[in-house]
Amino acid sequence: MLYFDHSATTPIHPDVQSLINELNQDIYGNPSSVHTAGRKAKYVVETARKQIANTINCDPKEIIFTGGGSESNNLVLWNMIYSDRKHVITSSIEHPAILTVLQQLEHLSITHTVVPVNNYGCVNPEDIDSAIKDDTGLITIMMANNEVGTVEPLQDIAKVAKKHDILFHSDGVQVLGKLPIDVQKLGVDMMSFSAHKFYGPKGVGALYIKEGIAMKPLIVGGSQEKSLRAGTENVGGIAGLGFAAELVTKNLRDVSHNLTALEIQFKTKFNEQNPNIIYNGFEDNHLPGLINLTISGIASDLLLIHLDNEDIAVSSGSACSAGTISPSPVLKAMGINDKQNLETIRISAGRDNTSLEVDQLVETMTRAIATIRRNAR
Amino acid sequence: MSEKIVVGLSGGVDSSVAALLLQEQGYDVECIFMKNWEDDDNEICSSADDYNDALDVCEILGLPLHSVNFSNEYWDKVFAYFLAEYKVGRTPNPDVLCNREIKFKAFLDYALQLGVSKIATGHYANVKETTSGFQLLKGIDRSKDQSYFLYMLSKIPLSKSTFPIGKLKKQEVRKLAKKAGLPIAEKKDSTGICFIGERNFRQFIERYLPEQPGDIISNEGKKVGTHNGLMYYTIGQRKGLGIGGGHGKSNLPWYVIEKIMDKNILIVCQGNDHPLLYSNIITASQLHWISGTAPDEGKQLAAKIRYRQKDKICRIEPVNGDSAIIYFDEPVFAAAPGQSVVLYDDEICLGGGIIEPYVN
Repeated sequence: MLYFDHSATTPIHPDVQSLINELNQDIYGNPSSVHTAGRKAKYVVETARKQIANTINCDPKEIIFTGGGSESNNLVLWNMIYSDRKHVITSSIEHPAILTVLQQLEHLSITHTVVPVNNYGCVNPEDIDSAIKDDTGLITIMMANNEVGTVEPLQDIAKVAKKHDILFHSDGVQVLGKLPIDVQKLGVDMMSFSAHKFYGPKGVGALYIKEGIAMKPLIVGGSQEKSLRAGTENVGGIAGLGFAAELVTKNLRDVSHNLTALEIQFKTKFNEQNPNIIYNGFEDNHLPGLINLTISGIASDLLLIHLDNEDIAVSSGSACSAGTISPSPVLKAMGINDKQNLETIRISAGRDNTSLEVDQLVETMTRAIATIRRNAR
Repeated sequence: MSEKIVVGLSGGVDSSVAALLLQEQGYDVECIFMKNWEDDDNEICSSADDYNDALDVCEILGLPLHSVNFSNEYWDKVFAYFLAEYKVGRTPNPDVLCNREIKFKAFLDYALQLGVSKIATGHYANVKETTSGFQLLKGIDRSKDQSYFLYMLSKIPLSKSTFPIGKLKKQEVRKLAKKAGLPIAEKKDSTGICFIGERNFRQFIERYLPEQPGDIISNEGKKVGTHNGLMYYTIGQRKGLGIGGGHGKSNLPWYVIEKIMDKNILIVCQGNDHPLLYSNIITASQLHWISGTAPDEGKQLAAKIRYRQKDKICRIEPVNGDSAIIYFDEPVFAAAPGQSVVLYDDEICLGGGIIEPYVN
């Protein structure tokens, strides 16, 4: 299997998996218990908190663990129901775990403004500035987009937020493990993460909440996670998240370089054999290894089947629960028409991909495209 | 390497067994799940449950499964026509169009681009290659025969299609599914129009064509009730007329016999043996012949004016171009304009056309 869909999810790092297996066997205590078994479990959770805090340069006290990136986003947004200022500013290329939540919140009189992006998928901080109203309480802009990889100007947006004394949240799910993250430098107040995007387990995430920001839980009950997330901790998963974050940051520079090299190799070789390919996103500042390309006249779902039959995994558009593909709202927001939208695929490389695999990908894609063109009526 | 074939898999028992049979025959089977309808009231895919069933089947049989979305094509080529017909008071049959435009066109083209030469579906029908080209035959299980829905196909799509369960009875299909351990072996047959599913038809159509109440008048000229809009009724319809007791001479049920569109009036009669419900003659338009040529004039044929109806002996007389008058030996019940009349020579489905209002 050639796996080129790391933006969807990553294979768990074998060392992380072994740690989880071990912990689930040996450290079965409840972190809330005061006996030795409980203490040991508590220690595991707190170690993980330090690991992720180190990764993003914050205090461990500023991290809470959740059930994933979507939950982290939800926790931030649903807190708007307790805010005095009930208007949110977001962008047109956010993940559904932001945009759909905001639609839901409209029913509770929480309004929002969606600022546009340019053809590269970039938010303009000035647009955010002019969208601010008297009752704006939150700005939420992703750090990098999951489909096209464009990195957003968070620092400039943070300045706008600070100027108006508005909380600034960012969905950082796609970035951890691909680019360095320093929440101090970025100037964000809150940031969401998901373990399975950086070679950790599925079903566990984290939320950075800058000290001093008062929040209420989404899942209410016991006092776990400073009463912000009730329920006995997913000890193994949390440990996996922490360890995965540590591992992925250790050689982040090398991994990024390697991903960029694979990306350049793909583009060079693929262009040689396939003229007129359009690459979407922001060439100058994007996630390394993420390639979003439009191949004119080739329906992406058809190409995906060809590749799947050759045991190659890439992705396209937004998949629905029946496995079919609809035009991507992100590409639409970037001004790409529906026809091109459905001729677009995403290739996202990861730490295990090799140069040889990229050659195979180019060769197989070129062959599949030829077959499709030959049989088109 | 064995020959590759693409099966349109719906998650139901018929298409699942079609895939199973082809796999047993040694084909390299690839399954494709078609999504032809986007629910506009929410973002949730209503077909998700069926897809999960299809996934179950493929995992058990060890077959690859992919999905394709033809909802744009379906909307443009099938649903737009469906609505336009309803709007003018006719009763269209979207399934015959879906087969011509989607399953045996968009889907077939798609499969060909995957590099296969043939597709298979779970229809109860058969294809026979003869010296004069490909013929469409009825399914062996006459109570399930679906050739009625396939009459709009031509020789070329037929030559690239196979119906693996056409020689089986429904019971046998279910038995095979059970034997193979497929959890959908006892799944209920889908009923009604595919995109409406189990929903209430009136509520569905109301979203597109708002209510337009008017009078219900008996064939003797008396007002007997109020209707909600002519598009909600079909010629021959008995249920849902809402005509209470105290009307009419007998206690017999009421039936729709005519819709007068420009006056927004629904005409009804009493009793299912009322002569106004029957006719020996119907006219048909848009005649399509699978072989490409019409049968000899005056030849004794058989016709169905609705799915699963018994064949009725008839003769056809071409009028002009693609229209004809069809004479039946015995009167037929409630021929509804917009529905299809499908013509047979014994077990061969010759083609058919769209029923038009008959003017004496």
